Amino acid sequence: MKRLNLNAVFGAAAIVTTAGLWLVLSVVKDEYAAGLALFGGVGFWALFFALKAAVTRGLSRPNGAGRERAAGKRKPLFGGVKERARGIRAFFSECGGKVIASMSVMGLGQLLQKRWAKGAVYLIIQAGAAVFFVMRGAAMLAGLFTLGTVRGNAWYGVEGDNSVTMLIMGIFAVIVLIIYFALYAANVRDAFAAQKAIERGKEPPGIIQGLKNLIDAKFYKTALFIPIAGVCLFNVLPIIFMILVAFTNYGGAIVPPALVDWKGFESFAKILSLGEFAPTFVKILGWNVLWAVASTALGYFGGLGLALLFNKKCVKGKAFWRAFPILAYAVPGFISLLGFKFMFSAGGPINQMITKGGGATVLFLGLSSKWISRVIGLAVSAWISIPTSMLLATGILSNMNKDLYEAARIDGAGPLRQFVSLTLPFVLFATTPVLITSFIGNFNNFGIFFFLRGGFISEGYFLASDTDLLINWLYRLSIDNNYYSIGAAISLIIFIITSAVSLTVYVRSSSFKREDTYK
Amino acid sequence: MKKVKVSKALDAGITYAVLLAVSFVFFFPVLWLILASFSKSGSMYSFDGFFPKEYSFNAFRTLFTDTSMYNYPKWFFNTLFIAGFSCVFGTILVILTAYAMSRFKFKSRKALMKTTLVLGMFPSFMAMTAVYILMTQFGLINNRWGLILIYSAGAPMGYMVQKGFFDTISNSIDEAARIDGATSLTVFIKIILPLAAPMIVFTSLTAFAWPWSDFILPKLLLKEKDLYTVAVGLMSLGDEEFARFAAGSVFIAAPIIILYFCLVRFLIGGLSSGAVKE
Repeated sequence: MKRLNLNAVFGAAAIVTTAGLWLVLSVVKDEYAAGLALFGGVGFWALFFALKAAVTRGLSRPNGAGRERAAGKRKPLFGGVKERARGIRAFFSECGGKVIASMSVMGLGQLLQKRWAKGAVYLIIQAGAAVFFVMRGAAMLAGLFTLGTVRGNAWYGVEGDNSVTMLIMGIFAVIVLIIYFALYAANVRDAFAAQKAIERGKEPPGIIQGLKNLIDAKFYKTALFIPIAGVCLFNVLPIIFMILVAFTNYGGAIVPPALVDWKGFESFAKILSLGEFAPTFVKILGWNVLWAVASTALGYFGGLGLALLFNKKCVKGKAFWRAFPILAYAVPGFISLLGFKFMFSAGGPINQMITKGGGATVLFLGLSSKWISRVIGLAVSAWISIPTSMLLATGILSNMNKDLYEAARIDGAGPLRQFVSLTLPFVLFATTPVLITSFIGNFNNFGIFFFLRGGFISEGYFLASDTDLLINWLYRLSIDNNYYSIGAAISLIIFIITSAVSLTVYVRSSSFKREDTYK
Repeated sequence: MKKVKVSKALDAGITYAVLLAVSFVFFFPVLWLILASFSKSGSMYSFDGFFPKEYSFNAFRTLFTDTSMYNYPKWFFNTLFIAGFSCVFGTILVILTAYAMSRFKFKSRKALMKTTLVLGMFPSFMAMTAVYILMTQFGLINNRWGLILIYSAGAPMGYMVQKGFFDTISNSIDEAARIDGATSLTVFIKIILPLAAPMIVFTSLTAFAWPWSDFILPKLLLKEKDLYTVAVGLMSLGDEEFARFAAGSVFIAAPIIILYFCLVRFLIGGLSSGAVKE
């Protein structure tokens, strides 16, 4: 009976805090956020108390307990789900007033349980979150939906909204919100666990134990905290930003101070339907696929062949011969690319030799030499990528079981047969993941034509040359010419293509299907 | 019997011919750049075909003394600064990530692995505009620390090779230490790190080589000429400055080439251990 009273008291406290939050937000005059907080708060508590009442009543009914026992027998298939459901039910029926206190204000329950340090930490987090969301966060979240309402006008001294900053800060606020929810859940879980411990007459784990855990059983949390935070801020946030930009009209004439708006699939329609973008997109996509397949195959099989060549018994001084490709491997990529550009340039050494022999200057990388440039690009890419796959294949071949070859030789298999039935399957098996990453890398090989040709615009192409890959076009559109939403839509299309290809290859490959073949 | 011998000799002959051809293909462009860096006149037009007519250390001298237009020493210092710090921070973060992912079977582990896999499939600089805007928000445009921040933060995405390596270190070692009362932190510092020395070498080498030769980020984020890195600076040199370009390239490529040759053993191990383990 006493516990029910406490429930009522803290339920009231919860509703008061919700109302308080609503009041504060209304004073700050952000009606979106205030409305959201009011609806969210009232809805949350109504749902919680309704569920609590329902679960408590359901458990006190005799057949409820019977049903649970019956469920316990049929565990195997949905064991995990059932377990979880039972945990949730236990939480709703058993959580006491102090847990509810922690639900209304983080840390309050811990303080009532006389766990001062932990309570203080959670209370500080709660206060920090409240200050952040009242001062900035709520407005940031609202900005994500409106993308700004006041157009800036320097003439009248109106400082308008910057839609792009609002978009980014909105995403940032969502990430903060997710972190806040995670901490909030941890806080409630902690209060509940402590309540259970007290009920069983044990001492609830203190903050010292928690800190000790962070360097021992839960060391992964300490280790992963900074990496995950960094990746979220510098990888996830920008990617989400670009995904969202694809659905706006950001770009062209619409850059701040003009206001950006949500436009749905308009950019995709622009790329795929007829217009200035569609023909260029189709042409570049075709070449891009051809390029990715050709350059990956060339680099991969070239490297494998080289590794096999160096592995031959009759080759003396392997380390010496291997040094040349390694030299090429060690030269920074941009130096190789710029070097080859100089080599094939109009005044370069090859042209000097041609003119000296009486020929006319050949513009290898000029505007009109589409296929010559493409072939040179493939050759240069092979020069750069073959040494990497050579090193890789060397490492893998040294892991191979020599007895297999001995057995094959005794059975009368020639060198070709040995290669096809033994070496190739093993190497393919071991390198499928690398093959996929190198395919993606080649599909998005920005450097090669950026350095070799740069800057051209070919006839029949919109802001691109006939050797450009999608990634080059993307760069030209978004960084050089402000077509941000179109660029973002293209990068989403690139992502869909590369991820679809790599996932199908990976799932169909033997290294996925029969993981243990060579173990 | 004699026939076998002849075919063997033929095989060896062809093999060596191919070896020579391959070595020539890989060595010639490098040799060309090295010799060009020692040419007396700077312009490419004065060369006799591939190679300069007269040799001297002129290009290297002007590289470091004539800094009014192209301040190579400054570029070099900037590159070293950025690559050095990124290497230190990046290596620490990658090793920590790989260790945590390899040794702890926590709840969200699979989800994290899949997420990184999917994130890796996005075009690498699709998010460049966003990074640019983010950096303006933090006030880190035209600031070398901004680049260090991005390189270090991005490094943990490539933790797979290192995780594969940690997977091969037997669990029984940690368990023995744990029975003696060691915490995960002590196990990591006292036992795992010394065992992982080759992998740390490999990681720091790759973590250094990436910022050392990257051109996209510095071009985007460092607009002032004084803050250029070598990659951006060398891009601005034309045909007339070919010798200077070659000298600058040789000077920046030499340290990394020497490093690679010293560490080639680790390279082969690192590359293939990441491939075999998925």
